Amino acid sequence: MDRRKALQKTGLFAGATLMMPTMLSILQSCNEENRLHWTPEFFTEDEAKTVSLLVDMILPRTDTPGALDVKSDIFMDKVIARTYDAEGQEHMRSEIAAFNAKCEEQYGAAFIDLDESDRIAVLQEAEANSGKFNPGVWGTSVGEQEPIGFYRGLKSMAIWAYFTSEEIGENVLSYDPIPGNYEPCRPVSEVGNRWSL
Amino acid sequence: MANFNIDAKKDVTYDAIVIGSGISGGWAAKELCEKGLKTLVLERGKIVEHVVDYTTMNLDPWDMELRGGLTPEQKKKHYKAIRSGWIGTDTEHFWADDAANPYTEEKPFLWLRGHQMGGKSLLWGKQTYRWSDLDFEANAKDGHGVDWPIRYKDIEPWYTYVEKFAGISGEALGLPQLPDSHFLPPMELNCVEKHIKSRIEEQFKGRNMTIGRVAHLTQPHNGRGQCQYRNRCSRGCPYGAYFSSNATTLPAANATGNLTIRPYSIVQSVIYDDKKGKATGVRIIDAETNEDIEYSAKIIFVNASALSTTQILMNSKSNRFENGLGNDSGELGHNLMDHTYRVGAIGKVEGFDDKYYKGRRPNGIYIPRYVNIDEASKSDKFVRGFGYQGGAHRGGNPANVESFGAEFKNSILKPGPWEFFITGFAECLPYHENKITLNHEVLDKWGQPTLTIDAEFKENEKALNKQIQEDAVEMLEAAGLKDIIGFDKEHPPGYGVHEMGTARMGRDPKTSVLNGFNQVHAAKNVFVTDGACMTSSSCVNPSLTYMALTARAANHAVSELKKQNL
Repeated sequence: MDRRKALQKTGLFAGATLMMPTMLSILQSCNEENRLHWTPEFFTEDEAKTVSLLVDMILPRTDTPGALDVKSDIFMDKVIARTYDAEGQEHMRSEIAAFNAKCEEQYGAAFIDLDESDRIAVLQEAEANSGKFNPGVWGTSVGEQEPIGFYRGLKSMAIWAYFTSEEIGENVLSYDPIPGNYEPCRPVSEVGNRWSL
Repeated sequence: MANFNIDAKKDVTYDAIVIGSGISGGWAAKELCEKGLKTLVLERGKIVEHVVDYTTMNLDPWDMELRGGLTPEQKKKHYKAIRSGWIGTDTEHFWADDAANPYTEEKPFLWLRGHQMGGKSLLWGKQTYRWSDLDFEANAKDGHGVDWPIRYKDIEPWYTYVEKFAGISGEALGLPQLPDSHFLPPMELNCVEKHIKSRIEEQFKGRNMTIGRVAHLTQPHNGRGQCQYRNRCSRGCPYGAYFSSNATTLPAANATGNLTIRPYSIVQSVIYDDKKGKATGVRIIDAETNEDIEYSAKIIFVNASALSTTQILMNSKSNRFENGLGNDSGELGHNLMDHTYRVGAIGKVEGFDDKYYKGRRPNGIYIPRYVNIDEASKSDKFVRGFGYQGGAHRGGNPANVESFGAEFKNSILKPGPWEFFITGFAECLPYHENKITLNHEVLDKWGQPTLTIDAEFKENEKALNKQIQEDAVEMLEAAGLKDIIGFDKEHPPGYGVHEMGTARMGRDPKTSVLNGFNQVHAAKNVFVTDGACMTSSSCVNPSLTYMALTARAANHAVSELKKQNL
């Protein structure tokens, strides 16, 4: 893959501030014959690339770090490898395969090989067609839960991985490990971002 | 509070033996030790020393390799308890090993256990409510179960006594159906909860919303620190800000010099001497060495947690008690109860986008029972009643937002939408056929018989749940919430973790196991003061009542011992 094409493909994140490590790592990976710069425990190389690209599109670097900056994709791979049972792992694999098969069918290539506008179209369609999570009460979702599907499930996992990373949890979200007291009605303006804990 | 006397002297004779070190066992140990009795506490699990053994208390998510996720091995170890949704890597070490300690569900039943010093007092919800005569008179009035041998006036001073030691925060309301405790200052409702409270109380006469009454300190108390609003209670609190045996009763017992605690001690049975006509000790299996050891004492408190206590009694067979110690009535193992769980409503609250809070309050709101409390509130659909817990917070699931990319990411860094929910706890009637039995086919890791649990909620509980959900939706609608979802997870018993009954108190030895002072009718030096003793289930959380009954029974025990009646 040549550099120019790679740039076009990641054009979703174009802009001077984005031409930094995230982009560089993608460019570097191109130079290294498009290899991953990390070794997945669970994903195949193509699956890992798919997931990395997805989480980067969902949570890109802005003036705050993106999902790849805090290694959300690497953590997700680890979680699937170490906490999913064989059935859950197989399901994840088949969902990625089905996601790519749909990309092939509609756009003629696997997700990572699509150009930017097609990838955006894929995600927009996934947003519109994926089920949504019901609210939870004490750790368990309530009400009639519609099927979530691969995209929303992966997105949820990516956000969890992102929010619970040290960089985001301590430096981007509002971090207060020992509040000391309870203020029942504090203006948002005095807190800032959502509490990380 | 170091320097526990951990079976150092190898004594086998004590004044008193307490089986279990959870909420009620801790209280028994404290009271008996403070009254001068050399007391042995037998704990089937490991020692968990306050603060020292709270290994996860300060971990942030990113400090845990899987940030709370459980490995397949851990899931296998907790294959039953995992259904609760409560178990993560931060608390996994405080939940019992289901694989080593199996049980059989004749009908679905979740049995959650904490096999360590402190038991489930490390893990409990800390909601603490007094029962009232509405509860103590309920069986007598509507004819379900048998009459309680006590009334509110019998237990009232003991509620005050345990509350003063434990430290209960809450708001006094003066409600007859939910008597006020001896309170520390209440925690506060947040602005959305205050708003909803006023809407509900305006529109529904007789309904109140208050902050949960909890065993969390809102100010320093008896040498313990106040709540720091970290909401990491179940990992063990470094400040001792919530009531656990580890932070309160066991150190108090230890301070007397009269306490010995023996970990890894699985009580196999209580030894009953047919000639003496009383219990003389207990038989244990050392969980690590498999050694059988006998300990003797003048009085025995069985506080192993409701079902385990009854399991021990059922396994304690003698010529006098062929069907289990104290089982003249045939009621041992019967009348198992729990509260219904996760039935209510949740919705979104608009108009408070500029408001937030600081601190993670380990507490929520409470709506006390308002049905069947008098003629005017009488239901023709069910007997007994329910109360609600709940709360408002900013959350939502950011993954639901139909967007991705830079703007999306920046938007979800901001506080999410306000949500408010209430979830009911309904009283369960004491049905004889809801029972546990010894299972000699399925043995535990130590070759001991296990339990088969055969219990279900019936028509009355289902009718209560229907009303809980309908009322919840109606209240949230009246409060102006949006996107309201009524729910009933239809959990089987056990999910409430308020197992009660199976060795009930009563007036008549022919229909009950224990008398009005929690003594086994026909073996008066054996006391049962945990959930097993309960004659009915009320709709409020039971732990405070276990504490009060235990302190009352322990003081009675010492008094009877002095009179040489035991």
